[in-house]
Amino acid sequence: MKKIIRLVSIQMGAVLTDMLSLGDSRKKKSKILGYGGLTLFVISMSLLFFMYVFMISEGLKMFDSLDIMPTLMMAITSVIVLMTTIFKIKGTIFAFKDYDLVMSLPVSTTGIVASRLLLLYGLNMLFVCMIMIPATLVYGMKANPSLGFYIISLITLFCIPLVPIALASILGTIVAYISTRFRHRNLFNIIFSVVMVLGLMFFPSFLGDGGQEIVDMSRLLTNQVNELYPLARLYTKAVISYDIWSLLIFIGISLGIFMLYSLVIGRGFKWLNSKMLTGGTRTKFKMGEQKVNTPFVALYKKEMKRFFTTPVYVLNTGFGVILGTLGVIALVVIESPIGDYFDISFDIGQYMSVPEIGGTIGVLGPLMISFFIILSSTTSASISLEGKNMWLLKSLPVSEKTIFFSKIGVNITILAPLILDLILLLLVMNVDVDQGLIMIIVGILSTIFVSQFGLLINIILPNFNWTTETVVVKQSASTLVTLLGGFALIVIQYLLIGLIQIENMAHIIYITLLLIVNLVIYRILMTYGVKKFRGFLV
Amino acid sequence: MLEIKNFSKSYNKDKKAVDNLSLKVDSGDIYGFIGHNGAGKTTTLRAIAGILEFEEGDILIDGLSIKEDPVACKKKIAFIPDNPDLYEHLHGIAYLNFIGDIYEVSKADREVLIKKYADELELTDNLGDSISSYSHGMKQKLAIIAALIHKPKLMILDEPFVGLDPKASHTLKQTMGELCKEGSSIFFSTHVLEVAEKLCNKIAIIKGGKLVASGTTEEVKGNNSLENVFLELISVN
Repeated sequence: MKKIIRLVSIQMGAVLTDMLSLGDSRKKKSKILGYGGLTLFVISMSLLFFMYVFMISEGLKMFDSLDIMPTLMMAITSVIVLMTTIFKIKGTIFAFKDYDLVMSLPVSTTGIVASRLLLLYGLNMLFVCMIMIPATLVYGMKANPSLGFYIISLITLFCIPLVPIALASILGTIVAYISTRFRHRNLFNIIFSVVMVLGLMFFPSFLGDGGQEIVDMSRLLTNQVNELYPLARLYTKAVISYDIWSLLIFIGISLGIFMLYSLVIGRGFKWLNSKMLTGGTRTKFKMGEQKVNTPFVALYKKEMKRFFTTPVYVLNTGFGVILGTLGVIALVVIESPIGDYFDISFDIGQYMSVPEIGGTIGVLGPLMISFFIILSSTTSASISLEGKNMWLLKSLPVSEKTIFFSKIGVNITILAPLILDLILLLLVMNVDVDQGLIMIIVGILSTIFVSQFGLLINIILPNFNWTTETVVVKQSASTLVTLLGGFALIVIQYLLIGLIQIENMAHIIYITLLLIVNLVIYRILMTYGVKKFRGFLV
Repeated sequence: MLEIKNFSKSYNKDKKAVDNLSLKVDSGDIYGFIGHNGAGKTTTLRAIAGILEFEEGDILIDGLSIKEDPVACKKKIAFIPDNPDLYEHLHGIAYLNFIGDIYEVSKADREVLIKKYADELELTDNLGDSISSYSHGMKQKLAIIAALIHKPKLMILDEPFVGLDPKASHTLKQTMGELCKEGSSIFFSTHVLEVAEKLCNKIAIIKGGKLVASGTTEEVKGNNSLENVFLELISVN
């Protein structure tokens, strides 16, 4: 047991170091700053959730539906754990970087498996606490339940992530295993993961009878969750009705499934890991004609390949693009003769209770575009992802400017479909030419902003000693700061639209601001950015 | 070809990793750089390759300063680190083409040289595989091929023989000799003193960041074996 705890603490330390970009920092001061930052982040996120849940509770109380709140929060937490864990499986349970080293230690395989599962559980518990503790407090304040509610909530808190982790692990293992059977394993991995996530997102909307009789959407959702996820029903009975049997069955099922999963994983651990760590199908190479590119194109292609061979990178930064494109395609099909033929066309303006939908899109459209674009910064992880290859990049006879441009170029290429979607949307929705033009310019400038800003932030906050790509792409300080910077810009945009009521004036001021910000960031990148890049110790 | 002038590098205020090192590598030299672990070999090699910034002294490649014109200097250099971490997401051939593109190697030269060196190092069959599936030795071979296809004037190698099988080691030694006959220079670190003694026409010994001996192999070792000279030098306080 001592060995398992030691393994977990070392692995947890590595994950936190990755998240806080402490990889290349040996200074105590930076560590204190990093951990202080994490604590601040957890506290502020909990406060944010507290406010968010408080607002929801106000609404629910108005409709006399406060009782559904704990289930709703439990369901949201379970879905978050499920969605985020799928992509953590490879790198945490399977095909993790230090597999050979860990397996050579005098610790039993069961012990190693237990340590990996505890690590996964520990990471998820952090998020579970961040949501469930504020939710429990808000419900306590609003509903004034007895002490039993708090005791049962505390007991169930530790069980909530168990089944979602097991389910996500099964799905993640299937994706990871099948992908090892294919030569283009990463492509398969990406497609399969996208389909699966889309399925998880849209599956609940196909259930039920459309909700004509049930006005309260939250109750409908809770009912659906209860039907879909039997544990939610047990949870409701335990927490709301203090049903001890439901509580015991809830704990029993959660622990049972998790233990069963642990046993299965324990048995196949070595076999699956060797399958995933060994290369795919090998063919004998024959020299043929080789293609020649310019240094910039070579760097750009290398960067593109990096993006498309890292499934978590594609899913995290390209998902907005995929969703946006699918949405626009669906809209175009519905509005086209195909939609008429299948009788699925409708007046979208009437549906959304907005008679002049074109005008509304013209006003709020730039906000929507900015939102989708700021979610898609590939550059905010692109420096960190160089990792141990940084020596290679720095030894090449190319200027820092070319390297930066190749990374920015990839981000712009990834976001290009969103600009095309936008043009298509403007055509379908009959938006005025001037408003359409504003939207396209905002789209292009936001794309340049997110690409440049992400790169600059990653140069300032790099982490080259990461253990899994997931941490760099999803949870690093650099991606978080880039996201916050993007949100700050959207807040400014929103305020401008709210404060300046003269037609198009707010957008024109915002465009001018974006242009200036982009020029300033470019200047900083080419001076401070280049200097900092040259100084990286690799 | 390579001139190191009063080069110093420190990672913290208290201690210099390399202290006032000066050295000259001429065209055609195979220059061995030896020293104990942590003596400052890798720091020096990385600074020459333009990977590591430094404040004191200068390093000239073919008369150009690596500080002032890094891109032009790097075009003349090939650097292989002690642990060749290459782009694992690329296939072997894609990596070679990437290097070929960066160093602007013509299509004709590229096709001939990749085939020549990949055949010599017995890696041709594996060039279609992902680098992530390569063993340490295979990665080392790929790094060597990538270094050779752009015909560098100066090769900087950090422990180049580690991980190579005996045949590949032999091939590399032969290739190093051929390159130097054609006018290129090689500056490399090694712990295998027998190899340095047999292969190098010049040798430098570094201890605690300071150069303690340098010159032709004969001058440095005199009538002793290189191993004896080295042990004697590093044991002196």
